[in-house]
Amino acid sequence: MSLPLVVLLPFLGAIAAPLFAQGGRTAIAIASSVPALIALAALFPHWSVLAAGGTVLHSYEWLPALGLSFSFRLDGLALLFALLILVIGLLVILYSHYYLKAHENVAKFYSLLLCFKGSMLGIVLSGNLLLMLIFWELTSLTSFLLISFWTHKQDARRGARMALAITGGGGLALLAGILLIGNIVGSFELDDVLAAGDQIKAHAMYPVALTLVLLGAFTKSAQFPFHFWLPHAMQAPTPISAYLHSATMVKAGIFLMARLYPALAGTEQWFYMVSFTGMATLLLGAYIAMFKHDLKGLLAYSTVSHLGLITLLLGMGTQLAAVAAIFHVINHATFKASLFMAAGIIDHETGTRDMRRINGLWRYMPHTATLAMVAAASMGGVPLLNGFLSKEMFFAESLQLNLPGLWAWVPPIIATLAGIFAVAYSARFIHDVFFNGKPVDLPKFPPHEPPRYMKIPVEILVFACIMVGVFPTISVGPLLYSAASATLGGNVPDYELAVIHGFNLPLLMSFMAFFGGLLMYSQRQRFFDFHARFKEIDEKAVFEALVSKFVNLANRFTGWLENGSLQRYAMLLVVSVIAVTVIPLINNGFYIGENGLSAIDWPTGIAAGVLMVSALATAVWHRERFYALVLLSVVGLVVALTFARFSAPDLAMTQLSVEVVTIVLLMLALYYMPSWTPMESSKTQRIRDILIALVAGTGMTVITLAMLTQPFSSISAFFLENSKPGGGGTNVVNVILVDFRGFDTLGEITVLAIASLGIYAMLKNTALTPPPGDGLGHAWTRDHYPLMLKQIARPMLPLALMVSAYIFLRGHNQPGGGFIAGLITSVALILQYIASGMIWTQDRIPFRYHNVIGLGLLFATIAGAGSLASATPS
Amino acid sequence: MELLFALVIGALTASGVYLLLRARTFPVIMGITLLSYGVNLFLFATGRLATGQQPVIGTSASYADPLPQALVLTAIVIGFAMTAFLVVLSLRNLADNENDHVDGQREETPPHRNKNGR
Amino acid sequence: MLVSAIVLLVLASDGSYRIYAFGNWQPPFGIVLVLDRLAALMLVLTAVLGLFCHIYASGGADKGNRQFHTLFLFQLTGLNIAFLTGDLFNLFVAFEVLLIASYGLLMHGGGTARTVPGLHYVTLNLVGSALFLIGIGIIYSVTGTLNMADLAVKIPQVTGNNLNLVKAGGMMLLVVFGLKAAILPLCFWLPKAYARATAPVAALFAVMTKVGIYAIVRVFPLIFGEGAGELANLGMDWLFPLALITLGMGVIGALGADSLKTLVAWQVIISVGTLLAPIALGSVAGLSAALFYLVSTTWTVAGLFLVSELVTSQRGLAGDSIVTAPKMRHRTFLSVLFLIGAVAAGGLPPLSGFFGKLMILQSVEPGVEMAWLWGVLLVGSFLTLIAYSRAGSIVFWWNVDGHQETPEPMNNRVSISTGILTCLTMLIVVLAGPISDYTRATAEQLHDNRGYINILQTPVHVPQSPLVEESN
Repeated sequence: MSLPLVVLLPFLGAIAAPLFAQGGRTAIAIASSVPALIALAALFPHWSVLAAGGTVLHSYEWLPALGLSFSFRLDGLALLFALLILVIGLLVILYSHYYLKAHENVAKFYSLLLCFKGSMLGIVLSGNLLLMLIFWELTSLTSFLLISFWTHKQDARRGARMALAITGGGGLALLAGILLIGNIVGSFELDDVLAAGDQIKAHAMYPVALTLVLLGAFTKSAQFPFHFWLPHAMQAPTPISAYLHSATMVKAGIFLMARLYPALAGTEQWFYMVSFTGMATLLLGAYIAMFKHDLKGLLAYSTVSHLGLITLLLGMGTQLAAVAAIFHVINHATFKASLFMAAGIIDHETGTRDMRRINGLWRYMPHTATLAMVAAASMGGVPLLNGFLSKEMFFAESLQLNLPGLWAWVPPIIATLAGIFAVAYSARFIHDVFFNGKPVDLPKFPPHEPPRYMKIPVEILVFACIMVGVFPTISVGPLLYSAASATLGGNVPDYELAVIHGFNLPLLMSFMAFFGGLLMYSQRQRFFDFHARFKEIDEKAVFEALVSKFVNLANRFTGWLENGSLQRYAMLLVVSVIAVTVIPLINNGFYIGENGLSAIDWPTGIAAGVLMVSALATAVWHRERFYALVLLSVVGLVVALTFARFSAPDLAMTQLSVEVVTIVLLMLALYYMPSWTPMESSKTQRIRDILIALVAGTGMTVITLAMLTQPFSSISAFFLENSKPGGGGTNVVNVILVDFRGFDTLGEITVLAIASLGIYAMLKNTALTPPPGDGLGHAWTRDHYPLMLKQIARPMLPLALMVSAYIFLRGHNQPGGGFIAGLITSVALILQYIASGMIWTQDRIPFRYHNVIGLGLLFATIAGAGSLASATPS
Repeated sequence: MELLFALVIGALTASGVYLLLRARTFPVIMGITLLSYGVNLFLFATGRLATGQQPVIGTSASYADPLPQALVLTAIVIGFAMTAFLVVLSLRNLADNENDHVDGQREETPPHRNKNGR
Repeated sequence: MLVSAIVLLVLASDGSYRIYAFGNWQPPFGIVLVLDRLAALMLVLTAVLGLFCHIYASGGADKGNRQFHTLFLFQLTGLNIAFLTGDLFNLFVAFEVLLIASYGLLMHGGGTARTVPGLHYVTLNLVGSALFLIGIGIIYSVTGTLNMADLAVKIPQVTGNNLNLVKAGGMMLLVVFGLKAAILPLCFWLPKAYARATAPVAALFAVMTKVGIYAIVRVFPLIFGEGAGELANLGMDWLFPLALITLGMGVIGALGADSLKTLVAWQVIISVGTLLAPIALGSVAGLSAALFYLVSTTWTVAGLFLVSELVTSQRGLAGDSIVTAPKMRHRTFLSVLFLIGAVAAGGLPPLSGFFGKLMILQSVEPGVEMAWLWGVLLVGSFLTLIAYSRAGSIVFWWNVDGHQETPEPMNNRVSISTGILTCLTMLIVVLAGPISDYTRATAEQLHDNRGYINILQTPVHVPQSPLVEESN
């Protein structure tokens, strides 16, 4: 239980922190520290198991189908990182207490910080790769929120977004990589994955999986070419920089590589990808760090460089190198966190971080200066400090690489070169800031020592640097051994932690680096001049520009596709239908089924001819709206006749009545609309549309033909048999409507009712201006008949209701009653709404007399159709 | 007969689709109306063509398939409701945008000016 | 309604099919309502959504139109019928009910901005309805039945030239469902229509595209499933690439969005693509993953619509445009909700969208499809991440000086319903185990259509109770 608790506690603390906001800043800080203290206490008892090389596993089932479990696993490596996270976390909380200003949202700060801490602990303690990924992305998110803590700063927002994009994107790659590994191994449990190293490396997907996992690790740990987000993340408050962006989060990528070392490392691909990336990052970071005038910028690039160093060590693939990598993780975290805190103090006390202005602070804050100088010396690799030890191991390892021919010289040279740069920028940090004349134009002057307790975290870290540097075996020996053993799967090589290993080649390299660095610093002005010749690229600006460009592109692309043209959408719809049905229909051809064709009688033939001609004529003359409408009504009438011709009297009557209503409605609409359609489509567009229409028409013809000539049996025999005995009526269609499929009819009535509601709602807000004339130059009559419609329409409702009630009652023992009644009621309601809406909207407008007649006719027709339908033989 | 029926449906569909692709609401409404005529006839035809066989028990020796007829009836009524809604919506469009273009574009000639515009 | 939906969910979770036959006519002759796991899931999904949207609406959005509540309830009615019906033509009727209600709702609140998108929406759906009828007609003309279980029996028996006809008809149905679901190239009506609808309506519409997806999931595995002989897996080879393109288009749209609501509207399209890709691959795991994601994304997107509306109401003239403006009121509350919604929608851990995506990613078998799906989904997630972080940081953080002139205060109903709906994603995470078990069982039920077909044998002439149990 204790491991999940360790991860969970910070999250609980994050929820609790705002509650303590009432109690003031101290209360929050104390409340925020409690989870870490408990967590430390919870981890302590496990030490005996870990020291013996064992692991502690606490696992709870969560989503077995996904292979995801609440599995927490503690071994030496996890413990090392957990301790770093917890201890430095505590120091950062203490430090932040003095760093944040009174008006700032302390609750939010601590809450996010604790969220981050929990996520980070989650990463290192997860015993399940998917669970780890969840925490991984959570750190990206919390980091995003923390970097942009000062939301009013544009740089902070942009830096945060860039960090999120890079690390979040890397997380997605990692997700894919982890899923691939899971596919190969068949489990996401860390124990299974670590045990299946050979299986993974032999798998065909290994190169892909490795690349994806490394993408995740490299983005998180700011490796070249993804290093650029880290310096911009320094817009965060300094405690955040110290904690997230030097000590913990950026180490997550390192942690991942170390964690999966037994499963993934040891191949050529691993060697080349990891070590070359590391080498490039190491050199590039160290080089740029020299030229940064911003205190935090220097530290940021130095962090990039050190991360590259650790990556390079991991990439070398030898066991000693891995030990050195882990050792350097500890050392870097201690000296870099203290340096960031010192930088924060300086920023806090002077109001600036520009090294060209901050000079000679030794006079004003000797205490802080001493601390910072020790830490910086460690960064530069001065003997008797911890940085020296791991750097020495690094130099030694760089000599051990078995590269062919002259290539063997490359790693040591690069290592030495990077060492020179490191010494140079460390020297600059010390000399520029604390000596080098007098301060120039500081915003706050004179600077003085910070509050006593603000220095305590720095003191503790610097003390650790010295302790490790002087007594490495006693101070970190056991921890390092157990972490290395966990990383290497138990095979720890023999290594010796000594302050000086004697005079050998690595020591020579250290000397070269040390004096070379000092020389370089003394000649710095030349290098600055040299560097100034190159235009500095602001990656953030580039990133922003890229994003905006992409956004604009996307916007235009979307606008181009989604152009708001119904014509295009409708065309797409029709074309899609044609596209997906064209293959079966071509296969179908002009298929005529077994039943063959039956003979045509003349009246039907003529009617069909009329129908076709009017339909096509409607399309051809659609621009003359009135004539088109007349033609349309002809089509509708012939359709009704067709129903009658082919044994469907009910349909014919319904079609007829609905036809009339529709045409009248269209007439009404045409009253307001222009009576003439302008020519808008180009010729090509019309030809295209004609082609589409022809294809669609042909398709329907082909389908209908094939269908009509095919023999057929349906479920309808049941209806014919059961209509009278079961449904109590002989008109089978009506019995189906009200009984067998009465639910459809209910839906249908509902549709009518809703349509009426919708129409009413729409008309209520519509102000239609009637045209002054009918489009042909004749003015409408000026008679006012506003009451007329109301007077006719109002009584129509009860009347229609009465009629439908009558039919309904009548229909109790006869088929069709309920349906027809519903139809009438609904249609009457629609008309009522239309009428009321018209009255409302057209208070003072002339109204055509025949419209009113038309409305009256409508009711009559519907009522007539209703009674006709119900009167059909029963 | 079957061929004729098929051609009728084809003609209705083709004219309906063509009108559907026009740029003004009124032709679009007419197009949809034509299309729905075609669809209704088609749905009706799924029960095959029968002459003089009203599905009313006792009037004939054999009967036309009553189910498609019932479906078409439902479809007609629903289609009517939808058309009515579309008509009112296009009126609304006319009122809001002062023309009856389907995309509501305000263009150079207001619709009621072209009195003699044919 | 929520209560009854949950009762039905509990009933359905035993894996049986319950049917209610209208008029007690033996299927396939009468219309039946069929309750199975899928139907129950959709009902609960809709009921929860409906409840919170309704609470939100009652906080002021329903003003000025007495029809609003009626239309809203009719909309839910249509949705519920669609989820329950076991009859193809009745599905059409249900579609019409929910569509006509949605037309009314879309136009609710007036304003000229809604007219044109509304016109497009209505017109396209009318054509869709015509197409639906043709598809039903073709299938009826070959099989002579409308009941879906009966169709599942009869479709595999289709031979000869009728195969061509059924293929054409089935594909038409797919296009219709695709139009409702807003698959590319049929999705362009959606962004403007959704972005301009009133918030509770847009939020409710989050489930409208899911109706199209539901229809595909319901009809295709059942009727054109593995056992459909020559017609097996009809259209799925079309659906997969289209789903991926839809996803890509959605991402591009989201990236290019200039207002929050447009962003969320494109998110709807993203989720459609994400959902249909695994469905098209047709495995049980894929189906299960899609259903899980469906629940998550529907609520999340709805929540985001509500949040965007609240942002609009608190930002004065700037509305929900992705531009800088004076600091809004209730910024903390709204930005936290937006963050939760964006994380869930973008599929980042630890919220439910991530688990849905994870399940989808895991559901594909290695092969070409996997490479495509993974590539598109992950790159899409990356770009969505950028889109949300950009939109969020500009809208919430980038403030110019000045104060909002008299922003309307938020009332409790509005803020509580938005808050709960957005935070449902956390509940999904907590209940991820049971939910994924349920969706898996649902997917298995869908995959094996024998249970559904069995309803044909269920005797319905039981006078006492219309609810008849048929053990699976």
